[in-house]
Amino acid sequence: MTNDTLKLSAEEQFAHELEELKKQDKGERPTNWQLSPKAVVQYLMGGTLPNGFRVTPKYIGNQRLMEIAVATLTTDRALLLYGLPGTAKSWVSEHLSAAISGDSGYIVQGTAGTGEEAVRYGWNYALLLSKGPVPEAIVETPVMRAMKEGRIARIEELTRISSDVQDTLITILSEKIMPIPEINQQVKAVRGFNIIATANNRDKGVNDLSSALKRRFNTVILPVPDSMEEEVEIVRQRVQSYSASVKLPFDHELLKEIDRVVTVFRELRNGVSSDGKTKLKSPSGTLSTAEAISVMNNGISLAYHFGDGTVKAEDLAGSLIGAIVKDPVQDKIVLQEYMETVLKPQDGWKDLYRACRDII
Amino acid sequence: MPTHIFGIRHHGPGSARHTLQALQELQPDIILIEGPPEGEILLEWAAHADMRPPVAMLAYEEESPQNAVFYPFSVYSPEWQAILYGQQRGIPIRFMDMPLVHQLALDKTTDAPAPPTVNPIGFLAEIAGFSDAEAWWEVHFEDAIHPVAVFDTIKNTMAALREHYPEINAYDLIREAFMRRSIRQAAKEMYDTIAVVCGAWHAPSLEDTQTTEENDHELLKKLPKTKVAITWIPWTNDRMMQESGYGAGIVSPGWYAHHWQHPDDDGTLWLTKTAHVFRAAQTDTSSAHIIEGVRLANALAQLRDVPRPGLSELTEATRSVMCMGDDAPLTLLKEHLIVGNEMGQVPDGTPRSPLQKDFEDQLRALRLKIAENAQLLQLDLRNENDLKKSLFLHRLSLLGVDWGKTSATRGRGTFKEEWQLYWQPQLMILLVEKANWGNTIEAASNNYVRHLAEQSQDLGQVILLLHKALLAELPQGSAILLKKMDILSAGTSDIRALLGAFPALAELHKYGNVRKTDQTLIGTILHSIFYRTLASLPTGCCGINEEEAAVMADQIQKVHAAIRLLDAEQMATDWAATLRIVLNAQQTAPFLQGICCKLLYDGQSITPDETAQFFSRALSPGNAPLDAAQWLEGFLSNAAMVLLLDNNIWRIVDQWMMDLEEDVFVQLLPLMRRTFSEYTTAEKRKIAAKVNNNVPGTNNNSEISAGLHHERAQRVLPVLELLLLPSQPV
Repeated sequence: MTNDTLKLSAEEQFAHELEELKKQDKGERPTNWQLSPKAVVQYLMGGTLPNGFRVTPKYIGNQRLMEIAVATLTTDRALLLYGLPGTAKSWVSEHLSAAISGDSGYIVQGTAGTGEEAVRYGWNYALLLSKGPVPEAIVETPVMRAMKEGRIARIEELTRISSDVQDTLITILSEKIMPIPEINQQVKAVRGFNIIATANNRDKGVNDLSSALKRRFNTVILPVPDSMEEEVEIVRQRVQSYSASVKLPFDHELLKEIDRVVTVFRELRNGVSSDGKTKLKSPSGTLSTAEAISVMNNGISLAYHFGDGTVKAEDLAGSLIGAIVKDPVQDKIVLQEYMETVLKPQDGWKDLYRACRDII
Repeated sequence: MPTHIFGIRHHGPGSARHTLQALQELQPDIILIEGPPEGEILLEWAAHADMRPPVAMLAYEEESPQNAVFYPFSVYSPEWQAILYGQQRGIPIRFMDMPLVHQLALDKTTDAPAPPTVNPIGFLAEIAGFSDAEAWWEVHFEDAIHPVAVFDTIKNTMAALREHYPEINAYDLIREAFMRRSIRQAAKEMYDTIAVVCGAWHAPSLEDTQTTEENDHELLKKLPKTKVAITWIPWTNDRMMQESGYGAGIVSPGWYAHHWQHPDDDGTLWLTKTAHVFRAAQTDTSSAHIIEGVRLANALAQLRDVPRPGLSELTEATRSVMCMGDDAPLTLLKEHLIVGNEMGQVPDGTPRSPLQKDFEDQLRALRLKIAENAQLLQLDLRNENDLKKSLFLHRLSLLGVDWGKTSATRGRGTFKEEWQLYWQPQLMILLVEKANWGNTIEAASNNYVRHLAEQSQDLGQVILLLHKALLAELPQGSAILLKKMDILSAGTSDIRALLGAFPALAELHKYGNVRKTDQTLIGTILHSIFYRTLASLPTGCCGINEEEAAVMADQIQKVHAAIRLLDAEQMATDWAATLRIVLNAQQTAPFLQGICCKLLYDGQSITPDETAQFFSRALSPGNAPLDAAQWLEGFLSNAAMVLLLDNNIWRIVDQWMMDLEEDVFVQLLPLMRRTFSEYTTAEKRKIAAKVNNNVPGTNNNSEISAGLHHERAQRVLPVLELLLLPSQPV
């Protein structure tokens, strides 16, 4: 299949897997679901079907979380995926809706400027002027269409949407109807309709959900990678592709630096040194895996363009500190404590300690 | 003569239910229970009205009570239900395990076979992909129609499992031989229907026809023996979690109790309880939350193919529905509900606990007497017996048994200690209550201190405890306290708590406790607390009011002294560098700036010239006069010598004072009086003399004297001297 599309939707990319799962699926399907809940979990977590067909894992992590997510969608509560940036929230939401509704395209992107007409419905003004408020003049939103067709609607970055617009969801989620007072009608949701929202729990300046709305959601927090190995692996893959683009050798030394950066990130994030002996404060920043990747890439850039081509502690220190110190007062204290209590005594880490010391 | 073997899971509500049903169905003549035969004498108490589980049978070696074993029972323990059943119907009950006289003797010998560590049902549950053994049990055996059949299935399963693990340890073999012997004995006594309640793991071996009486006899020969005492003690839910005696540490006693009481709960009751816990903690939780939680838990159960939601489903539902996905509120739940804070009760008249016994033994050994009226006890700590008395009293006081009060806290420099002893009857109750913390005063106080350390969230409190624990010589307790100190100091943003912790710790590090405290551990924590202090000190000194500054100044001075005491060069340098930052920071309270400046000056970390610079900066006309006066107070209180010896500073202070407007001067007068009033008379006199002599040797001298007529001035001096300095030789 030749296709110039930059990114295929989940249901297109994994059409074969979905088809195969559907054939093998013996479980009971809730109305308007393409697969049974169990098959949806299997689609997300991967595995081998009875006929030997292999389903690739879409989410690498705790299966119980995916079970909670799927179970939530079988009840009449909506699902809120919460977590740091880069913890695969949108990814999971896309695959969930692809597996359940067979279409992941019912999506509303939340921004500070998202208005009510993007969540409920808008008007085609030409028609509105010529014919007045008639049903044809209504511009349906993905949410409205999902309600009519009994599918899953997705709302990205729910907390970025202003509170009054957020709250229009309350009627939709609790009454399962969307009133259209202008024409004195209402859209009633068909079985199978539900909403998956994603939100970032570390962002500042967002609109927290009102408690009325909160109550309509079950929340699943997607965690940062569980083990050191998992995280190093993720960083390694991404850094490898970058170092190839600047033709830097991906060698043992670089791997060692990745290890150090991930260790620093994990220690600060977890608030305890990796040997478990020293308790630490955590900085205000997120310190996500994505940031670890960018610290490494930055270091490689520095080494490639300005250094001798090998990544050294000095190349990393700048962006490392930049990633950690988001609040110039509090985070600096955190970092200093960390440097003195953990970095300094660490064998073979003197170079990193000094490099940081020089900058801070 | 049918023998029915009930292979149970210790503390499993499901097992308990099945055991009870099976007993009711079979109507046995005698019940044999896995447990120490010595415990049979305690059974009469089980059905007592004042008996309230969780309770434990505590057995200990008479000569060394530390060698002890606990057999905890909760209301949902199958053994407990079997005992109650037997008691109510008057059926004889026997414990059939290895007698404790051997067991404790075996435990003591170094080459004793290791106690078993396998949790067979947990193991099977794990294979089946369950995180909780009870959940697995529920799924597989709950809906069984015939309880007797359930136990047959279990027996067969275990037989299969044992085939896979042929290396059954020697300890288990001995125990099983004892159990078989008891069963044979019961059969010989012509009991018709024999019910045997034992851990599932042992079930198949008890029906083993291949092992003959002779084989068993061979195995049970020549076992060591010791004297054993046994008693009931109250138990708590969180101690149900420990692995002891029955070897089954359970992680969720509260849930099990709930499950025992409400086997058919689909989560509604449990989540309602959950909501109540949250409401009690001021977290809004509505009935709708409960409804949604029950729905989600049931949907999860369906997805996972389990008949009804278990603890994991309910917890996950709680997290998703009530806690916004957050784990933190669940700790509350764990404490109050999943573990539960139930404490058992035993009737009066049960035998004494070993802690009481140890208390009385020690009284005898130390020749201390319980007297009705107050008595005074003077101890010389160089004397070994007196030292022991002191440790004993300190330990008791840590346990909350405040028999003695020290009249003066014992410092390290002194070996005298004075105690006021006053015994009150309720102290004994307090002591008995602590029985579950250990069998000797030392062990109990160690465990209790550990418990307090784990509970405490206040750094100051932990330091106080540490101080007490060190006086009572509790090395393990102290180690835990030090760890806790580390954790709390990392979590705290309260600079004053950190400053307060440092001197005590430094003293400990320097002089140590000659006995057992782990010096490297103290060193590490001292080091980390020190650098934490450094990191947050500059911000901590900003934007605080006068009173706070005074407290802080006191602490800074103590830390300064402690650092000098430690004699650590690197620390001293880093400390000086930080003081300099504090001194230079714009927002620092002026009083503290003054203090810092003086400390630096004292330590010769800044040169006199620099000091003068700081002085003139602080006293420059642009600054608010009040700030300047506070700065001056910080530097000059208790520092008359500086004024006397350093002419530069003298001149700057003098100049500033002269430049003050009159009303400002009046306003500042009380403050300055406070600063200078602390000087000794001799110092004041010398200062006055210096004023008198007009600061000789400074270039300022000429300026001031420029407008004076020297000869005429000289003439006044004798009179002035007469007035101001009567004893000063001219």
